[in-house]
Amino acid sequence: MALVEISEMERHYVMASETVKALDGINLSINKGERIILLGPSGSGKTTLLNCVAALDNPTSGEYKFEGQEVPRGHSEQMTSFRRDNIGYVFQFFNLLQDLTVLENILLIQELSSGRDKKRAVELLSLVGLEKEVDRFPAEISGGQQQRVAIARSLAKSPKLLLGDELTGNLDSATSTKVMEVLVKACEAEEITVIMVTHDESLANYATRVIRLDSGKIISDEKVDN
Amino acid sequence: MVAVGVFAGITFGAYANGVVNLYGEIYDGDDGVNLPDVWVENSISTWNDSTSENLCNSLSNEIVESDLTIQNCEPRLILRGLMYHSENSGEEELIPGVWHGIDEGEVDSVWMPTESELSSGRLAATETEIVLDSHAALGMEIEIGETLVLGAGHGKKHYTVVGIGFHSQHMYFSQEGLMLPADPGTYVTGYMTDTGLERLANLESGSSNRLLIDITGTPDYDLQSTDENEGEELNALMSEIEIIVNSNNDDPSSIYDRSGIESVEFLRADADGAGKTFPYVTGMLAIVAGITIFLSLQRLIQSQAREIAVLRTLGIPKKSIMPGYLIAPLFIGTIGSVLGTILGIYFGAPAMLEMYSDLIGLPISMGVGFDLVVEIVTIALVIVMLSGIRPAWQASRLQPLEVFRGYHEVKLSSRGLQKVTSKLPATIGLSVRSSLRKPVRLAFTFFAVGLSMLIFGSMVFMMGSMEDMMMGGVEENQNWDVLTYVYPGDEGAVIEWAENNSVEYEPMLTFPIGLQNDTRELQGYGLEKLSTVDDGDAMMVIELKDGSLPLQGVSPLQILIDEGTSIFIEWNIGDKQTVMVGSTPIDVEIVGITKGEISRTMYFHRSDLAQLVGIETTSILLQLPEGGDIGGLADVTIGLVIKQDMIQSFESLLEKQQEMYIAVEGLGIIIAVAVLFNTLLMNLSERDTELATLRVLGAPMNKLGTMMFWEHLGIGIIGGVLGAIFAYFGTVAMISSFVQWSFFMTIKPQILPVLYLVGIVTFISIALTPIGMWRIKKMDLVEKVKDLSQ
Repeated sequence: MALVEISEMERHYVMASETVKALDGINLSINKGERIILLGPSGSGKTTLLNCVAALDNPTSGEYKFEGQEVPRGHSEQMTSFRRDNIGYVFQFFNLLQDLTVLENILLIQELSSGRDKKRAVELLSLVGLEKEVDRFPAEISGGQQQRVAIARSLAKSPKLLLGDELTGNLDSATSTKVMEVLVKACEAEEITVIMVTHDESLANYATRVIRLDSGKIISDEKVDN
Repeated sequence: MVAVGVFAGITFGAYANGVVNLYGEIYDGDDGVNLPDVWVENSISTWNDSTSENLCNSLSNEIVESDLTIQNCEPRLILRGLMYHSENSGEEELIPGVWHGIDEGEVDSVWMPTESELSSGRLAATETEIVLDSHAALGMEIEIGETLVLGAGHGKKHYTVVGIGFHSQHMYFSQEGLMLPADPGTYVTGYMTDTGLERLANLESGSSNRLLIDITGTPDYDLQSTDENEGEELNALMSEIEIIVNSNNDDPSSIYDRSGIESVEFLRADADGAGKTFPYVTGMLAIVAGITIFLSLQRLIQSQAREIAVLRTLGIPKKSIMPGYLIAPLFIGTIGSVLGTILGIYFGAPAMLEMYSDLIGLPISMGVGFDLVVEIVTIALVIVMLSGIRPAWQASRLQPLEVFRGYHEVKLSSRGLQKVTSKLPATIGLSVRSSLRKPVRLAFTFFAVGLSMLIFGSMVFMMGSMEDMMMGGVEENQNWDVLTYVYPGDEGAVIEWAENNSVEYEPMLTFPIGLQNDTRELQGYGLEKLSTVDDGDAMMVIELKDGSLPLQGVSPLQILIDEGTSIFIEWNIGDKQTVMVGSTPIDVEIVGITKGEISRTMYFHRSDLAQLVGIETTSILLQLPEGGDIGGLADVTIGLVIKQDMIQSFESLLEKQQEMYIAVEGLGIIIAVAVLFNTLLMNLSERDTELATLRVLGAPMNKLGTMMFWEHLGIGIIGGVLGAIFAYFGTVAMISSFVQWSFFMTIKPQILPVLYLVGIVTFISIALTPIGMWRIKKMDLVEKVKDLSQ
């Protein structure tokens, strides 16, 4: 059974003068363990698709099943609960909590979901190569390190699917490479499926599948050998 | 909030001006009472016509040292008495009173302001006529033409009411030594002709027990509320008067100036205190408004940082950035001031004056002038303007590059705080650290909450202490039910009445006690039994603060003094001092200090005091048996005080003050709500990104709500405790500036008012949790995620 099963998904935004079809009949099936890169120009619908997959946004129509179950729509708490149980999310600007140390950023997410597990939090930081930075504040480490903390944080509650929106968009290429290597390693170790939105074609090197979107439609979907 | 500050300033200012004007009209105005400058009081008896005339002649002729000249010396008879008042039901009630027998009335006349609805009629002209005090007339709904049945220890006499007015000694209408406005129907005063009172008291013609001395001009007298002696010249004259009076009559006399008339001094102190207070009230509220504006401007600048950075990048100079942020508070201040002025003039001031007029029963006129409005608005605008300076300066100093990189918002959390909270769950650590992220803002918020709590907290503490003093001191600790006054030597009739009616009794002797080289006086109490609250089997029980009870018949005489006396004249346990009993210096040893007395008090064993003054008893305390009444007592006493009436007066005062209490409480709460909401909403809005991140990562609402609840609870409790501490010490400071020789009280830290204040602030703080949760719920996560990606 596929992890994600999407059929005829549409997302319309009603503007003053027109209705914009951000997603226009998306059909997509994602299996466990895949690492997918969503590529496309600005306004192609890739972030909207990511938001719908994350249950942050409600599709206007179409079906979305996760592990064979219908994903909740229109009910904020049920959608949050779905994200908590299944989704990890990595932001472009890291969004670490500045008042908490690196370790505490991970512990916080554990406390707010399944429960505090310090040993696992330290393991995750080791997995992303930051075992020596546990007591530092985010502002005391580099951007690349912060993004690695964000990856560790997103893995803290053992999600089945990790989503990233331009997660290397704020990093230089050397740092991006390092972050992506860490991400691949971590997700392989934790057996986590990954969907990343990016403009950066070079990230295809870390993917097992590349999907291209334009005008809300999938224009190509190809598996790659990585 | 600026409007609230200006509103409160004008309201309190109108009250202060009204009281000052009233004081001036009564005592110094053309239609005033021509208040005496010096009183000579026969403490135990009356003078006959020739003695009082001789005394006045001697005073007019024999004063040589002083430059002050006596313009008038008028004998006056003032006696305690009773009114037999019949209710509609026909039941007769005994009401304690004071009767004035006025001969010439050139000095200390009855005040009957013509333009006031509270007075009417004319002065008494025959021996069966009386002018009733307006307070009593209104309270008992007695009108001109009605007949009153009065007594003064020698049977009942009938008098016709021909006028309703006021008297300087009863402007503040309270029973002797009680300091609380008497409840309607519990106290009465009336002003007759001299022959009218002589008829009532069965005294010979020309009897008097006061000499009212009017001095040319208005000499300054020593104000009790100040440390310096403003009345040196008058004091010197009073010393001369004392010598002359003592050498021309055998009765012990006390001599005092206006400071010795409680009613006068209380009104003056009230006017004085109100005049000093209202600019501070305005200033305090304006500071709270200023802090709120300051914090809001800081937040505004933070949210406009990018726009400011763009302007700076485009070459706009720093000095062009500042004016906008300086004008904003001025604009807010002006609108607030206009609104506050309108509300103050048309609602606050009239309501305050009406309430005050109702409370003290005096005609008080509107006191809002242009000067007052200018003063209040200036105070408010200056403080509000100052609040904009720092935010404006901060705005002009923003570095564009730092803003574009987002560095201006990044603040490294405190390592110390992290260590302290590192063992706590991360949710609690986050709550603590994010709350303390802006310590200056939090400190300002707590300061502003403290100020707003001070406004009504002071009232809570004062009412609590007064209640403690009255209800604890009188209702619970005192074992007497009725205090009867008797002429010295006439106590046998009351004792006989008590024995015939199975009423427990205790004789008591009160006598004014003077201080050496000091015009101030204390009330000396000679008690039959001296006992403390803990082993209180006496009728009048003493609350001993320090020391022990005096031994009887030892030399020097052992005495107790009240806490206020100890503070004002710096007498302490173990001190041996000299006091004046009449004109005789007596050595005494202070063995204990009592608490709970509003007036200055000295306690003796009755037999010790009797030996000094040569009389045995001036009053008798009675303890009635269960269901006992005082039928027949009126025929054998010259006046009485019923304990239940005192308690009723206090309860009535509390009731009358409820409206003001609720209004001030509401004002304080509104301000505290505004301040706390402002800061906590700023805290929440600054954490939008954090909270959105947590929501995207799957944090459930109930856990975020719980986190927020504990955070607000913590801030509420800390803010409440600080507010209560602020209110307590503020009230203590305020009271210490109000207390004076004739009025002393202490503020005790009472647990209920503290819990009340903490509870209110905590409640306000916690009430923000649902609003915070609602904000999170309404958050458009898609938009937030977009923001997070830009």
